[in-house]
Amino acid sequence: MTAARESDALHERARAFVRAFERGASMPEPFDALATDLARFQARYVPGYARLCAARGVDTARIARACDAPAVPTDAFKLGRVSAFAPSEAAVVFRTSGTTIGARGEHAMRRTGTYDAAAVAFGRRMLAAGWRERVPVLVVGPSPEEAADSSLTHMCALFVRAFGLPASTERTYFVRAGALDVDGLSVRIAALPRASPALVLATSFALVHLLDASGARSLTLPAGSRVMQTGGFKGKAREVAADELRRAAAGAFGVHERAIVGEYGMTELSSQFWEAVAVDASSPHGVYVEPPWARVVPVDPDTLAPVPHGEVGIARIEDLANVDGAFAVLAQDRVRRVARGFELLGRASGAAPRGCSIALDEMLSGEAAR
Amino acid sequence: MSRSAERRVADVRRLLAASRSVYEQRARWVPELALATGLTPQGVELGFESLERDADEDEVRALVARVPEAEGVHVVLSANVFVAPLRAIALARAAAERVTVRPSRRDPVVARALVDALRDDAVVLVPGRDVAAVDRGEIHVYGRDETIAAVRSAVRPGVVVRAHGAGLGVAVVTRAADVAGAAASLAPDVAAFDQRGCLSPRVAFVEGDEDRAVAFAGALHAELRAWEARVPRGELTAQERADAARWCDTLAFVGRLWRGAAHAVASLPPGASLAVPPAGRHVLVVGEPDLAAVAARVAPIARFVVAVGSDDPGRASAAVPSHARASVLGRMQRPPLDGPVDRRSV
Repeated sequence: MTAARESDALHERARAFVRAFERGASMPEPFDALATDLARFQARYVPGYARLCAARGVDTARIARACDAPAVPTDAFKLGRVSAFAPSEAAVVFRTSGTTIGARGEHAMRRTGTYDAAAVAFGRRMLAAGWRERVPVLVVGPSPEEAADSSLTHMCALFVRAFGLPASTERTYFVRAGALDVDGLSVRIAALPRASPALVLATSFALVHLLDASGARSLTLPAGSRVMQTGGFKGKAREVAADELRRAAAGAFGVHERAIVGEYGMTELSSQFWEAVAVDASSPHGVYVEPPWARVVPVDPDTLAPVPHGEVGIARIEDLANVDGAFAVLAQDRVRRVARGFELLGRASGAAPRGCSIALDEMLSGEAAR
Repeated sequence: MSRSAERRVADVRRLLAASRSVYEQRARWVPELALATGLTPQGVELGFESLERDADEDEVRALVARVPEAEGVHVVLSANVFVAPLRAIALARAAAERVTVRPSRRDPVVARALVDALRDDAVVLVPGRDVAAVDRGEIHVYGRDETIAAVRSAVRPGVVVRAHGAGLGVAVVTRAADVAGAAASLAPDVAAFDQRGCLSPRVAFVEGDEDRAVAFAGALHAELRAWEARVPRGELTAQERADAARWCDTLAFVGRLWRGAAHAVASLPPGASLAVPPAGRHVLVVGEPDLAAVAARVAPIARFVVAVGSDDPGRASAAVPSHARASVLGRMQRPPLDGPVDRRSV
């Protein structure tokens, strides 16, 4: 079987997870079964992954659990190709934003169908839950034409198509050429029908800019509306504590705080994680849940072994939808498992050495995940 | 406030005499330094070899000439490499008649030993002194960006702050070098202070093709393994271990990794972005066709580069920023005592 046909078969198995989730059915096969097959496929066709497995003494032919396969550090996406196919076969290449030393991470996809299905299925469940009709969707971010290599923009565009009003002639995207159009957004919000909810998609730093710039303009959304908030600040705006920003955003949009729904995603992944505040009245903010085709495992940053439940570790993310890249990714975010999911505790800082050598973080500031 | 150049040179020389005394009695400081620094006792012994104990006349005069006179200097030492207090106090003493020294809380050993051995009322340890209490003269601060920023924000108006921040070293192995010999020379520069010094090389650029870079990386791996046996690496902090684990996995993925029990060397394929390794005896080897290409690769990290070591320092200097100190391989940790280690603008 060729790599492409093997990949297609694995995509089909990942899509089966998504379809089962949409139907409310049990998963078609054990998570570890697909995960280990992905590890074997990626070790065969992603040369770097074969080298990583060899360096860690892992023979993917012999592993039976996802956690036995090495995770690819996100830094690898900045330094090399993490793909099981030739560059010419890429349907899309998503890129992280740059760092001080210039490297941008790249996640190339041979096909986006699995990503799209997974994002929409879980987004519908966690963000658009209970909405029987399509709603106006407003993106406090650039359009796909303007940011074609942003996975976040791609996801927002998916949500516009999946949850938004069909063939809307109204304006949807409110960042152009890097500038936030507060007046345009305010006018658009004022014109929204008041009888049905709306959906606003925004990054944390865009929300800060919006709140800072909105002045006396009204941003009050119709009753029942929701706001997706994603990402950190990464030097793009003044930093605001998450609960403070949520309170301020809720006040500005005239919605309950539980209508502000947090999302956690990364360019390097094909799945996202959501706060369950819109679907579970008892679920707190700050706790994210995974879809059945992805897992977030806190690991010891030194040994990379899972830490006991409740302890803080670095996020090892196993994503069955990441067929043609790395099904297991080692992020730089600190996480902790809790009863209903995991808490996101911020980025792990680099070592401050005991001497006068420079810390890595001092060289790598300004990096953004998506 | 004015002292003659002769007097200032003499004051620095007295400090060097104190340094020799500390060096001669170094065995007594080893256990305490090992505890404070995380180095092994052998690592402390190796570090002591970088303690300046003498300097020729031209060097000391150059140091004095580089330092403007000040009414007084308060030196704020962070947890630098443990021999760094000598140069810091020498610079302060060259500048001022009165010097106060606030040693690092975590590693006060050598600062205390030097001041004790100096027996000079003009140089006084003031462990608890707040920089806001300094009402005139200069503050010389050593440490990380945050430390420097904190000092700058706390000083009184009129007090001059001279800051010496963190940095890193790079090595340049020119086409003329024998790669095995260059690797043998570079290894002690890496091993010293477990690579926690701002002079410590973390990236080695090898002029030539990829095969030559790989040959150098393999040779350096063998040399560092030999140094592990001679001078074992000390305990890394949890965060240092985490950074090392991540860097090693990343480089195993994108390049080629040679991993020892307490060191790692990696090479990158041509064109890949630099992945500067964490401290702890980790070296990235990058092959480049010529020094112009090396300069282009250094450019993104130029402002952090404090030192360059090379088989041909004269040629290599052209590839690094002008503020970087240039030394032959094996001498990177011992630049002449002719001014601050860190010559970036302060």
